[in-house]
Amino acid sequence: MTEHFEENLEDTANVPLIALAGAPNSGKTTLFNRLTGLRQKVANYPGVTVEKHIGELRSDDQVLANLVDLPGIHGFSARTLDEKITKDVLEGDVAGMKQPDAVVMITDSTRLESQLMLVEQVLELNLPTLLVLNMADELENRGGSVNAEALAERLGIPVVWTNGRTGEGTEAIIGYISKLKGKNSIPSKSDDQLKGSIHSHKLPVLERFSERKKTVKEVVSDADFIPPEPSAVSGYLDSLVLHKIWGPMIFFAVVVFVFQSIFTWAVPLMEGIEFLIETSGIWISEALPDTWFKSLLIDGIWAGVGSVVVFLPQILILFLFIGILEDSGYMARAAVIADRVMYRIGLQGKAFLPLLSGYACAVPAILSARTIEDDRDRLATIFVTPFMTCSARLPVYVLLIAAFIPNEPFMGTFLNQRAGVLILLYALGIAAAIVTAFILKRTLLKAEPSAFLMELPPYRLPSLQTLGLRLLDRGRIFLSRVGKIIFTVTIILWALTQFPRTEFGPPEIEQSALGQIGHVIEPAIEPLGFDWRIGIGLITSLAAREVIVGTLGTIYGMETADEQSLDLQGALQESVSFPAAIGLLIFFAFALQCMATVATVRRETGGWKWASFQFFYMLVLGYSGAFLAFRIF
Amino acid sequence: MEPEKTVITNVSSDLRLGEVQISQEVELVSIDLPDDQAEPLFERGFLPGCRLCPIRSSPSGDPIVDVDGSQVALRREVANCLCVRTLSDL
Repeated sequence: MTEHFEENLEDTANVPLIALAGAPNSGKTTLFNRLTGLRQKVANYPGVTVEKHIGELRSDDQVLANLVDLPGIHGFSARTLDEKITKDVLEGDVAGMKQPDAVVMITDSTRLESQLMLVEQVLELNLPTLLVLNMADELENRGGSVNAEALAERLGIPVVWTNGRTGEGTEAIIGYISKLKGKNSIPSKSDDQLKGSIHSHKLPVLERFSERKKTVKEVVSDADFIPPEPSAVSGYLDSLVLHKIWGPMIFFAVVVFVFQSIFTWAVPLMEGIEFLIETSGIWISEALPDTWFKSLLIDGIWAGVGSVVVFLPQILILFLFIGILEDSGYMARAAVIADRVMYRIGLQGKAFLPLLSGYACAVPAILSARTIEDDRDRLATIFVTPFMTCSARLPVYVLLIAAFIPNEPFMGTFLNQRAGVLILLYALGIAAAIVTAFILKRTLLKAEPSAFLMELPPYRLPSLQTLGLRLLDRGRIFLSRVGKIIFTVTIILWALTQFPRTEFGPPEIEQSALGQIGHVIEPAIEPLGFDWRIGIGLITSLAAREVIVGTLGTIYGMETADEQSLDLQGALQESVSFPAAIGLLIFFAFALQCMATVATVRRETGGWKWASFQFFYMLVLGYSGAFLAFRIF
Repeated sequence: MEPEKTVITNVSSDLRLGEVQISQEVELVSIDLPDDQAEPLFERGFLPGCRLCPIRSSPSGDPIVDVDGSQVALRREVANCLCVRTLSDL
């Protein structure tokens, strides 16, 4: 279905392009999903990482229009990438994309007055615009009302009512769009539409907004807008969720629950996927003749890509909960609760989400830092996110802990020594993140504290369709982003184990190109107590941290090895000293052994500067930590 | 208890949003921040002359304010840059 659609997108250049604009939490994405269903695709705008959601609006098997779902914004000051892109799209300044033929401006009608500030700014663009009063049911239920006809007359644009959650009113939007198509050419800007525009662009910023506000006040009064009563449910929930004592407790309960779900519920699914990959690998290898191709396919691609696909259940479960938390309105409250603590270490409330996601995987976590408006806050967040103990570190920790830490009680029967070390490693990551953020915000990213503002939308039931489509999106992005890199890296690594060829085929691993590289870097890692074998593991783990487990298995001559393998644990105990093993654990806690993360940071920060700085900073920290551990223990 | 009357003689714009009691509606007089930092506030309707009403505080004591029917959480440092006056001063 997707391919078919992409073909179509090329053919439909003459179909109108309609932009969906609106503030965050106005129900824009839910309406977009209602209008386009699965006929949508996600790409990036050229040169930046803001996602471009484009979908087809069909009616009776005819493509009526292409819809683009613009990021939710509060204004056009272009402080954030989202705002800049929205402005550029609406002004027709995006390469390879025509200026939209019309704007469907979606507002949360329960907050009409504050949303009209943005409507004013959109109207100043002089594009044909439809104003959508969304959440009509909620406005009515809470005793609010507005005269849509009067509003339409005053603004000089058509106005329709919708209910994003039930889908009521979407026909009205489709009707508006099909009329655009019917006319074949888009109506030129009428005087009516110009009426909304004040020639205010040259005014100083305060006057410009004051002018708009004045207009909004007039519009609201002309259209007899009666604001709804504050939502009783939201008020009640907030009195709990933002309560001095209950608030933080609920916050911790939510965090623990999300954690728990990533680490327990995902496990059977992950084991299932692992089993599928292994068995299918065995089937394929039985079916294929013993050639280099089989070795590439099974040892290289299958194992490498498999090591990524395994994380998919965790990522999806994490994003399911994040989706529920965001769409229900809790995430905004969580950011407010986290803000004080985050502020003290130089971050802000919105950094909470990326840092939490970092426990599953740094790649989607770094992507989710986009909502942070302040550039320096965002950079600092991206910089420290990889210190969160991602799930790829876990197999490494489990292997080394099982091999070197005795399974004995610690602090009475309450904790086991192994569990204690694991908790310490998590704490080490958090400590490194805090110290790093603290230093960064006082040196390189020094700035006036940003005016952290968080709008608290009313609590709402998340829409299943929107949740489902979001999961589909996230899964696809994770697989393609991470998959591509790991695919490349594993092929390169595999090739390095195959040369130089001997008369019997591939060389012993110590003689291979990879083994030689291991020997070359041995002097550098000797002060940490690591030999060439660990050196090779460190290199291969650049693909993904847990790859070191498989690599060490290969080097020590295990047929199959995983982190539970007793043989591998025994082999490690013989060749790695206890202090060196502690050092290796600390190295993995700090070092950025993940090319997928480096590539993501490069894209998100627009260059190599921050990505390479972060990589070397974390490497130095990991190296020094391992060095100290080797001396101390 | 201090006599209530002294309030009236106060210069009204000395009052900061951060000091306003919950549920007390006030009018914004000015924003004591450079324009580029104040712009996000402008966008959300924090403009001189608008009505603001603190509705609750966050667990850490930062105000959550109603502006034009939207609820916005501010840091108290920011709230203390917003000069307001009580409606009785009008």
